[in-house]
Parts: sequence; structure tokens; C-alpha cells
Amino acid sequence: MSDVTNRLSCNLNSSCDCVHVLSSMVEVMGHRAGLSDKETNRMILAVDEMFANIAQHGYHGREGKVDMSVAWHDGTLSFELRDYAPPLGKGEMLVWPVSSAGKEPTPGGLGVHLMHAVMDKIEHEALADGNCWRLVKFLHGEQYNEA
Amino acid sequence: MKLEISESKNSDGAVRLALKGVVNIQTSVALRRHLKPMLGANQENIHVDLSEVGFIDSAGLATLVEGLQWSRADKGRRFVLSGLSDNVRDIFELAKLDSVFDIEQEEGTA
Repeated sequence: MSDVTNRLSCNLNSSCDCVHVLSSMVEVMGHRAGLSDKETNRMILAVDEMFANIAQHGYHGREGKVDMSVAWHDGTLSFELRDYAPPLGKGEMLVWPVSSAGKEPTPGGLGVHLMHAVMDKIEHEALADGNCWRLVKFLHGEQYNEA
Repeated sequence: MKLEISESKNSDGAVRLALKGVVNIQTSVALRRHLKPMLGANQENIHVDLSEVGFIDSAGLATLVEGLQWSRADKGRRFVLSGLSDNVRDIFELAKLDSVFDIEQEEGTA
């Protein structure tokens, strides 16, 4: 067990082309945590999807602030995205319908499906002035070496 | 971060779209704008080359699903993807879309 906490944070505008900033942060932390390229790419995907959901469904395409932090501590990689959009009800953003395998594919809910497929835990906390979203990935031994 | 889209015609008359960059919520708007008129035109065969795409998210996948739906609307149509990198292929697999798209295998791959 390590006592070392690695943390990176930044403040972003939901309407700007800044997804690459998120990707870079996740990539740096993923490599520090010893993730493979494939696992790091998956983390980037999950964070990208959450940011896109906040921009689209939280701020409805309008400009808004998003505070993002990435932390790696004791085998847990966690991503926190804090927005200042109207607080959502419990699970409101995480239960969108997902197309099932074998059926005609539809785009609806795909981002949420991908986040769930990649992360071990997704938490939402409604705040007085916004929302806090936490994406958590537990890093177990086999994942360090996954091709 | 941007997406470059170039269009050409294959010798068999198929339209070939070569993408370069990332296909995400921001850049997929340009891809949709490019693809939409092709889906409405009298076109039977569209080939999308993803060999220079390093990342795709659900917005990009959703745009490609529109092409898939177009191809399924008529028996003679084909919407083919090729050149998927390992990371891009992994995202297709996570989305369970690897088995529904017509994905051209590269030589030397399984």
C-alpha cells in the first residue's frame, strides 16, 4: 500500500474545445498509475463521456464551468468532475436507455453504457449549486499488465 | 484537436472517406455534416477509413451508426469501416458494435 497521493486538477469551460486537456491529464495519471495504453485509453473515454454529458445534458450546450480532478491513491484511480448546472435528481443522468447487443443499434445512451463498461463505480452527488460526478477505477494486479 | 476528412472515389465507384484525428463530440459534427448528404444521395457503397483515427467516443460512434442504419435500409448498400487501431477497435467492442458493423480486416490481422 502506498501513502503517496497523486493529484492533478484543472478548471474548464464546458463549451470550449478542451477535451484534449482532460485526455492529457488522464493519460499522465494513467501512466503514473501503471496502466496499459489500452486501460488508459478506456479511462480517457469514460472521462470524455462524462464531460460531454455535463456539457450536453447539464448545461444544454451553453457555457458553464467544470472543475476536474484526477487522483490516484492506494490502488484507486478516481476522477471527479464538478459542474454548476442545475442539480439533477438521483440517478437522473445515469439511467438513460442503452441498446442491447443483438438488437438494432441506436445511439441513445451509448455514452453512459461506455462509462459503466469502463469504470468500477460511478457516483453522483447533487449539490446546492451543481453536481459532483465521481468515476472510480480500482486497480488490481492483473490490470497493470493487461495488453 | 480536430478531424480532417478527405473524400475520394474507389475504382469500383465506392465513396471513400478518410478520417484523420479524433472523432468526438466536437469533431463528429463535421463528420455528420459530411456524411449526411452522402446518405441522401444515390450512393450504394461508402467506405470509411479510420486508420488515422486515434480516438473515438460515443458521439463519433453514433455518427457512424447513422451510416450503418442507412446501409441496412436497402439490401444493395454497404457501409464499410477499415483501419481500426487497437484502441479504436477496443471502443467498438466496449460498445458492442464490433459485430454489427461491416469492418474490413487488415492483412495480417485476425
